[in-house]
Amino acid sequence: MPQCPMHRSISSFILKDCIMAKIGVFICHCGENIGAKVDCTKLAATMGEHPGVAIAVDYKYFCSDPGQESVKRAIRENNLTGVVVAACSPRMHEATFRKACAEAGLNPYMCEIANIREQCSWVHNDPVMATEKAADITRSMVEKVKRNNNLQPIEVPVTRRALVIGGGIAGIQAALDIANAGQEVVLVEREPTLGGHMAQLSETFPTLDCSQCIMTPRMVEAAQHPKIRLLTYAEVVGVDGYIGNFHVKVKMKARYVDTESCTGCGDCITKCPNKKISSEFDCGLGKRPAIYTPFAQSVPNKPIIDKANCTYFKNGKCKVCVKVCQLNSINFEMQDEFIDLEIGAIVVATGFQVQDNSVYGEYGYGKYKDIINGLQFERLASASGPTSGKILRPSDGKEPETIVFIQCAGSRDPSKGVRYCSKICCMYTAKHAMLYAHKVHGGKSNIFYMDIRAAGKGYDEFTRRAIEDDEASYLRGRVSKVWEENGKLMVRGVDTLLGKPVVIAADMVVLATAMVSQPDAKDFAKTIGIGYDEYGFFNEAHLKLRPVESSTAGIFLAGACQSPKDIPDSVAQASASASKILALFSKEKLEREPVVATNNEATCAGCWGCVLACPYNAIDKKDILDRSGKVIKRVASVNPGLCQGCGTCVSFCRSNSLDLAGFTEKQIFAEVMGL
Amino acid sequence: MSIQEQYKKRVREILSSGAVKMVIGYQAGTTADRRRPLFIRTPEEAEKLVLDSACIANLSGYLVTEGLLSDEKSVGIFLRPDGIRSINILAAEAQLNPEQVVILGFDGNEKEVTALQGEKAKDFTAIIASIKEHAPSAPRNPQLEQIEKMSPKERFEFWQAEFSRCIKCYACRQACPMCYCRRCIVDSNQPQWVNTSSHTLGNLEWNVVRAFHLSGRCVGCGNCDRACPVNIPLRLINAKMAGEVLGAFDHFAGMSETQEPVLASFKKDDSETFIL
Repeated sequence: MPQCPMHRSISSFILKDCIMAKIGVFICHCGENIGAKVDCTKLAATMGEHPGVAIAVDYKYFCSDPGQESVKRAIRENNLTGVVVAACSPRMHEATFRKACAEAGLNPYMCEIANIREQCSWVHNDPVMATEKAADITRSMVEKVKRNNNLQPIEVPVTRRALVIGGGIAGIQAALDIANAGQEVVLVEREPTLGGHMAQLSETFPTLDCSQCIMTPRMVEAAQHPKIRLLTYAEVVGVDGYIGNFHVKVKMKARYVDTESCTGCGDCITKCPNKKISSEFDCGLGKRPAIYTPFAQSVPNKPIIDKANCTYFKNGKCKVCVKVCQLNSINFEMQDEFIDLEIGAIVVATGFQVQDNSVYGEYGYGKYKDIINGLQFERLASASGPTSGKILRPSDGKEPETIVFIQCAGSRDPSKGVRYCSKICCMYTAKHAMLYAHKVHGGKSNIFYMDIRAAGKGYDEFTRRAIEDDEASYLRGRVSKVWEENGKLMVRGVDTLLGKPVVIAADMVVLATAMVSQPDAKDFAKTIGIGYDEYGFFNEAHLKLRPVESSTAGIFLAGACQSPKDIPDSVAQASASASKILALFSKEKLEREPVVATNNEATCAGCWGCVLACPYNAIDKKDILDRSGKVIKRVASVNPGLCQGCGTCVSFCRSNSLDLAGFTEKQIFAEVMGL
Repeated sequence: MSIQEQYKKRVREILSSGAVKMVIGYQAGTTADRRRPLFIRTPEEAEKLVLDSACIANLSGYLVTEGLLSDEKSVGIFLRPDGIRSINILAAEAQLNPEQVVILGFDGNEKEVTALQGEKAKDFTAIIASIKEHAPSAPRNPQLEQIEKMSPKERFEFWQAEFSRCIKCYACRQACPMCYCRRCIVDSNQPQWVNTSSHTLGNLEWNVVRAFHLSGRCVGCGNCDRACPVNIPLRLINAKMAGEVLGAFDHFAGMSETQEPVLASFKKDDSETFIL
């Protein structure tokens, strides 16, 4: 019998694992992906020599139908006890091959993937070394599989109620799609109204239909839907549990107005003496009172009191709103309330913010009143905005004769802004130029740009229209400085196509500000337990093949919280998330991977480090009693229904009492020693 | 009355009143500057008690002897501030009920010792807080500073040389009040993560495992250091790790009975210098 390298010094009952083992090794070329760097035929020959390996073969594409069939046939013909597929990352095809093994009568957890693509062929150049490394990786998995155990899936019930976090267009769309399929939805929005950024927009590209006209009916539909429970001015503050069984805590922030009795008559808003507060909805271009609705079409159309600016809260005197309210709906004693929800799946649609332009000192944002950002221009152009849709300068209320638009003010600028393209700015700047041309006849718009990125249905036609029909003048180049001179904003830039510096005297400058993640996005991601990238955008499970799932099972993403997106993309992703959730809700029970931790109660020291370390609250304290009922010792006990198999407790446990099914210490040790 | 006589009187009092069933203290050792632990069960036995500057061992580990506290009776124990911190950690890790521990506190230098006021671990919170306050500016071990100046390679070689003497007697583990596990990871052989024989790799593995297991838990009492028969400066490793957790997580081991173990707890503002 060939000598197993593992067993020079290991006791005989481990040896048994190897003598009994009949492992099949299937080496995939993945076309050229692996085959070009790793000599798969040689690898198959090497693995065939390894103790315990009954068959080792290579093939062009094992994930294909004939490939999978050959694996199944090999299992049946050789009575294999375990399978190693040396191929791409287990995130790609582990499920595929485990299913194939199950179809051939093998327990699916007796199949393991050796990743020789992402971790070998893609990252190495030297074919000889790469082949050696592939052999190491594969051998290590063979050693692991020899110690794998048959595992049975765990069934858990599914709570058929979805939570949608964020009431912008993406959140509303997801909520409506789920609710229209007959499932319950809780829609949580932290602002006092639904609508998000889309409600602030004037017209939308590429069709120039009015944003409010297409948005507000959706808002009303969501609010009135019998299957949707709407919680506005509310924040998700805690998420526990797991797919199908989340426990969510929501903070209902005190509105100081009883929404049950309030009819939204607006008397309090009209009579509030404190009317000079900068309006968030109008991006600082308009004013609002201390008791207010963000805009006239707010849903719900019930006001809230801005505690920080309310005269009563500041001085203890005023209460004008209390006096004028005929329904006694104002309640200054109102407190934040917390509600607990049982949820099966979550859509995160928390949206974006615009970057703070003050990082560009040279552009003078914040210094000169007539330098505004794109979102502020939307408010100027909006019929419901502070100027009723007239393009007027914030400084003196005059109509600007020349506007300079500066694209990529923040985007594609690693030095001061963000490295990525914000995706929507080329389109909305073209739209701004068109709206300006339509509203101010003879107005001259100059647009500094780096590239015009107009990929999308009707998008390039749209930018061409701005140039050809509405005479927007595009200058390819960057702006170096903006300053004021004789009442004009002087914009110095370069026209790289002419190769000349230019100075334009403008009446208004609009910065196409970068789209960035919400300022609290990273904290929020930690609260709900999903991943995020360096910019604070939430990570999808797989950029191409699982773009709407987060890496946490049961939590899905929609809209610009994942990456900059326009309205069509946000809506499409929201519907995709909804369809994923409806698929989840189509089952009574959910099968969960049996990869859960177990505790050795004999050796457990009861230090409770694992109880604290467990991110899923899956570990309880358990009393061990003697016959008389006296507590002899207390140990940790893992609830397999809650355990997500992350292994945090295992790595924490000092006495090595915890172990993880599918990744047992024995398996990991064999894997390491097999290298 | 000397502090020793004061405490002898107190020991007799609490034993005869039944407030405690036993007092753990010090008695004369084999040489003039050595003390050995004393387990006093009757007021008469208190006569053997010695309390002076040579009493340096941290006795708290004896409290977690299997079954000692399971009858819910109290035990008195002589402790310096580091020992009191150990009590807090053992309480936070659910190894004992601090209400059962009557502390006879003392502190001092090489010349003399003074009594510390208080009885229960929580009575000493202010003293421990002031030690934490002074921790960053306290005079550092010159040997530790010297090691920190070394290049990573030199440092590795230094520790390799130190660990090469290790005979795997596990005296450090036995002496440490934090090593209370019923089965230590080195005694687990399925699989055998830590090699049992005293060769280079096994020695390195054992000492690195111990350093990690003590991170955020070591109070620097020096029991391990004194127990080591081959004089490996174990205290330096643990002092280094204590400094790391203090700097990274503002964690000073044994502040209170409810302090969360630093490596098992997660706070949103924990520094993450290595994970995106």
